[in-house]
Amino acid sequence: MSNEAALREFLLAFADDEHLIGQQHTEWIGVAPFLEEDLAFSSIGQDELGHAVLLYELVCEIDGVEPTDAAIDALAYGRSAEEYRSSAFTEFGTTDWAEALVRHWIYDMVEDLRWQLVAESSHAGLASVAVRAQREEAYHRRHAEALIGSLVTTPGRVELERALDTVLALLPSLLAPVAGIEEMVAAGVTAAPLSSKSSDIASQINAAFDGEYEVQVGSGARQERSSAFGPLMARMREVLDLDPDAVW
Amino acid sequence: MATYEVFLKKDGKDEYRHAGALDAANDELALVMARETYIRRAEGNRVWVVNREHLLMAGDDFISPNADKPHRHHDGAAVAARRKAAREADSSEAGNDE
Repeated sequence: MSNEAALREFLLAFADDEHLIGQQHTEWIGVAPFLEEDLAFSSIGQDELGHAVLLYELVCEIDGVEPTDAAIDALAYGRSAEEYRSSAFTEFGTTDWAEALVRHWIYDMVEDLRWQLVAESSHAGLASVAVRAQREEAYHRRHAEALIGSLVTTPGRVELERALDTVLALLPSLLAPVAGIEEMVAAGVTAAPLSSKSSDIASQINAAFDGEYEVQVGSGARQERSSAFGPLMARMREVLDLDPDAVW
Repeated sequence: MATYEVFLKKDGKDEYRHAGALDAANDELALVMARETYIRRAEGNRVWVVNREHLLMAGDDFISPNADKPHRHHDGAAVAARRKAAREADSSEAGNDE
């Protein structure tokens, strides 16, 4: 695999995760458990969509395409399922608040590590996106940790533990190495594969829950979509599909 | 749950102003929720979040007697008029000396 192809795989995996998790969070607008959380959670979702746009712009650069709104939309909404590199972790749809919250907590824990790994990337564009994203991640993590930290000592802990089982079963897909990751590490695009952080992630989870959970790393290089992807994409394209040629 | 009051201040000489209130389970959650509830468009550069329990409060019984003290509502007109009259008296005396 050429370095350029490996870089495209690497950036798409990150961008697609950000895009889909942003969509998942924003689906809680109006139905989060309380008003303040409604605002906070959908704001965090918007931030993730913003990160996705910045990463898709870097993909446009590789493709030699001007990063216009139309070009970004084409990447975000216009590919066939096999062209996406999202993980089952971010494709998973849920209307269960405990699952949404625990996924947010673990996603941002992992995302923060992901940005740290590229903070001094040899790819200057990616390093500068990391600086901006990390400033927002500090709030995302504080938000998630404040909620998890206060709920874990209440009877609601049972719900969190149930949700944690669901989310941990999906987590290997998020940590699965993308195709060409060895080239990306060798080229200094990322300091290490995300999969190398699995024990760090496990210890953060165990510190919060005083547990002995294990974190596994998946395989498959993100070449296949989970069964949740189709329905998610249909929700995302619902308005677009009404009139694909509409001018916005 | 406790109720918290949120105050915002912009950089510069403006004072902190009340932005609103919210309910939260603890101090940290109150601060976290205040950000997206009241400062999502950077309406202020600084924020105070105060548990309402920690505010010193008094109501009508404490304050209402002061509503009936018109002498505290003077606008300085009476004093200004007397000083003006005194100045005019001084200057006419000086004129008489010439």
